[in-house]
Amino acid sequence: MPVSTPTLQALVPALPLAAAIVTLLVGRRLGHRAHLPAVAGIAGAAVAAVMLLFSTHAAVVGHGDPHAADAAFETAKQFDSPSTLWQWATIDEAIVPSPAATPPGTPLSAPATDGSAAAIPFSIPIELRLDPLTSTMLALVTCVGLLVAIYSIGYMHDDPGYARFFALVALFVFSMTMLVSATNFLVVYVFWEAVGACSYLLIGFWFRKPEAARAAKKAFLVNRIGDFGLAIAVFLIWMTYGTLNFHDATLADGSLQPGVLGVTRLEEPGRIIGGAVGTAICLCLLLAACGKSAQAPLHVWLPDAMEGPTPASSLIHAATMVTAGIYLVTRCAPLFEACPGALVAVSIVGAVTALVAGLIATVQNDLKRVLAYSTISQLGYMFVSLGTGTLLGFTAAIFHLVTHAFFKALLFMGAGSVMHSMGGVIDMRRFGGLRRIMPITAATFLVGSLALAGVPPFAGFFSKDEILASVHAKAFPGGHDGHHEPSTVAAAFHPVSFSGRAVSFSGKASADETVAPAAAAWLDGLDRPRVWRVIWWMAIVTAGLTAFYSFRAVFMTFTGPERVPEEAMGHAHGHEAHGHGGSGPHESPPVMTIPLCILAAASAVSGWWLFSTHALSDFLAATPSLAAPAVAATAVPHAFHMDIAIQGTLAAAIGIAVAAVGHLGRRSDGPQMERFLGPLEWLFANRFFIDQVYSALVVKPLEGLAFVAAAFDRFVIDGTVDAVGRLPVAAGSIVRGLQSGLVQRYALAGASGVLLIVLALFWRLRG
Amino acid sequence: MMPAVQLATLAVIADGPAIDGLTANGLIVGAILFALGLAGILTRRNLIVMFLCAELMLQGISVSLVAWSRHHGDWGGQMLVIFVLTVAACEAAIALVLVLGAFARTGRLDSQAWQSLREDNLPRVVDHALPSIDTAAAKWPKLTPAGVLPETDEDELLEREHV
Repeated sequence: MPVSTPTLQALVPALPLAAAIVTLLVGRRLGHRAHLPAVAGIAGAAVAAVMLLFSTHAAVVGHGDPHAADAAFETAKQFDSPSTLWQWATIDEAIVPSPAATPPGTPLSAPATDGSAAAIPFSIPIELRLDPLTSTMLALVTCVGLLVAIYSIGYMHDDPGYARFFALVALFVFSMTMLVSATNFLVVYVFWEAVGACSYLLIGFWFRKPEAARAAKKAFLVNRIGDFGLAIAVFLIWMTYGTLNFHDATLADGSLQPGVLGVTRLEEPGRIIGGAVGTAICLCLLLAACGKSAQAPLHVWLPDAMEGPTPASSLIHAATMVTAGIYLVTRCAPLFEACPGALVAVSIVGAVTALVAGLIATVQNDLKRVLAYSTISQLGYMFVSLGTGTLLGFTAAIFHLVTHAFFKALLFMGAGSVMHSMGGVIDMRRFGGLRRIMPITAATFLVGSLALAGVPPFAGFFSKDEILASVHAKAFPGGHDGHHEPSTVAAAFHPVSFSGRAVSFSGKASADETVAPAAAAWLDGLDRPRVWRVIWWMAIVTAGLTAFYSFRAVFMTFTGPERVPEEAMGHAHGHEAHGHGGSGPHESPPVMTIPLCILAAASAVSGWWLFSTHALSDFLAATPSLAAPAVAATAVPHAFHMDIAIQGTLAAAIGIAVAAVGHLGRRSDGPQMERFLGPLEWLFANRFFIDQVYSALVVKPLEGLAFVAAAFDRFVIDGTVDAVGRLPVAAGSIVRGLQSGLVQRYALAGASGVLLIVLALFWRLRG
Repeated sequence: MMPAVQLATLAVIADGPAIDGLTANGLIVGAILFALGLAGILTRRNLIVMFLCAELMLQGISVSLVAWSRHHGDWGGQMLVIFVLTVAACEAAIALVLVLGAFARTGRLDSQAWQSLREDNLPRVVDHALPSIDTAAAKWPKLTPAGVLPETDEDELLEREHV
């Protein structure tokens, strides 16, 4: 290979960054060619990422049989040495009470209760790691990003912010690739914020539209809550582990500093801290993931984010950025593995989100909002899978992440194609029967919906089946021969619990010392089959809902009598330039439909291919985090469980059937079947009043506080300042009468003054 | 006037030669002139009279300067008086032009008419009401022409109110 792996690793983020800078600098001069740097940069990054994927895959496969007992971990060890770009910050002696940073072999059961602190170096290296998880994410982000960028050439072609859009997309690809390449929690945090900033800028891309500006603000603020969780998690990790590196680092004095997720730490049972502190770290990470991945109760920003351009919704708010939470939890799998309570919390959050978002999606009439809630719901599915804490669960989540990226990007871009053709109208009640007008869009949208609904043999079926299988194993332990009770197998690796260790650092005990372990223990207690059975049924119901709302959208948009809104009639911009004459609704230009077809093909076959070969799950199992003995011990042989598949497919079939009864071939503006739900429909249409609850609990009290503060400012502070200002005026008014304008009076005053001086002199000299 | 003389004695020449009668007379005359001028400028409202009073005060000072000059045997004082006279002549010309200009604008020589520089919101001071003037019927003094008559536009002449 002519280009070395570190160079390729650096090229993946560097090319989009260069493209973003070039586009920002000279984008306006490029005019209608402003997409060239971004498309070229992302394409180069995609090529590099795919080469990295192949080289990583070769490294995994070349390392022997991954099914062997300890082989995965031996394979994973080679991925624990990142390539260093530069040192960002270095502090030679950071004082940290850091028992966990001691060399391996030191008994960890002796927490530093005497308050002794170790001086250890603190450095933030900018390093790029490469392991199966990272290379999968890199390839996914760059490839979907490339397709979206190409699609945007057509979608954005007459927008005044054409150059800005491509600069932001390139900047996003840079940030996202850095996020998944980073091997340090602080660097992760930086790029976690960076993707959030790109998301903010793209949601508010049409910032003159008040809704878009509001939506951008809302997304940013809600994300801040999650970012706060990540910041706290980073602090706690630093205090607990004494390092922020994922990997094992070699210090200047040649000694080994075990990283948080480094192989040295993972190898040894009990080196990952559980108990109250571990649970707190994991819950903070979960909060961060909830913010970025739009999980309840922080999901409210994602539906509003649809105010952004559709390609941005497709890339950022469906396919890639929102999966950052999934990535983070997967990367920190060993940390979660040590805290069963946190894992259950992940699943519960995911299940509730999946169900609630699915219910809301059933009554939305805005095509993009259906897809937005569907995204939230599918991300919830991934969280459910992650929360099982089994290797199958983690790989299934990433599997679903990959297939979801394909079909959700496809669906969003299909929706964008419809919107483009309908003159910006996205309300499904205003158009219908578009299958003849836009055959390619209709066909690809149908493929995407089949994949989303989980109809075999499309991609979503296989990834959803794996998720259901992972939940099933937890809900019905011993239900299948191949399914062990994972927790018993992994019990050997469950950590020693250091309850209240963080408190002992400060040398003083507090109420937390008793409350926090109790809370953690309560959460741990939720990890029992009865809870998992509830989650399982929620997942099955969500599967049915998914099928229902996705086919409701298909039927409302593409079947029934052909109707187009009047806005589409006047939509004639740039038609000559695109070579299809006439005005009115039309199929989108090839630059938009070709990415649709590519994604449709990926949505159709990727699931079957990845499932049947187990290529992805075996590949991911060599990631250090997932090859950790604690996680690897939960592995089960690959199997296809017909009963789970039948249940999932049955749910999907029922959903599609109900959608067909209600919407197939009917006018989309007619009375809808959902009306029969009565008050439930009202509840769903108002999104369970979550926004209103936030408004009442957060926004209104804050507004009240702001009102009080403003009043205080206006009347108390301003009043004081004004009073000070009035003092000279008041003093002046006393002597103002002297200023009469009459010369005689002035002369009299002058003469009197002279007389006074003379008299004073006189008395003085005489005295 | 004795306190004034006494004061001057005390203030200026505490250790100089004693003041003789002629010096004292000069000082007394100067003081009288100054006091008259001061009284006039404070009590009269006619701008020209006020101006004359100011001149009177100036001359009073000049006289005392001459007296002191004599007392000290120093010509500096008298030189200063010549200088003051010169400056007073120039100042008189300018002041008279200003007075005439003010008169040309309002037809009034009463200083009470000019109090627009007073503080806002203060009422106009009315000591004795200004005499009303029928500007149309008033007979304005004609200045004797001197020198070459400047070329004046007929329209401009019409626009002038008076003079």
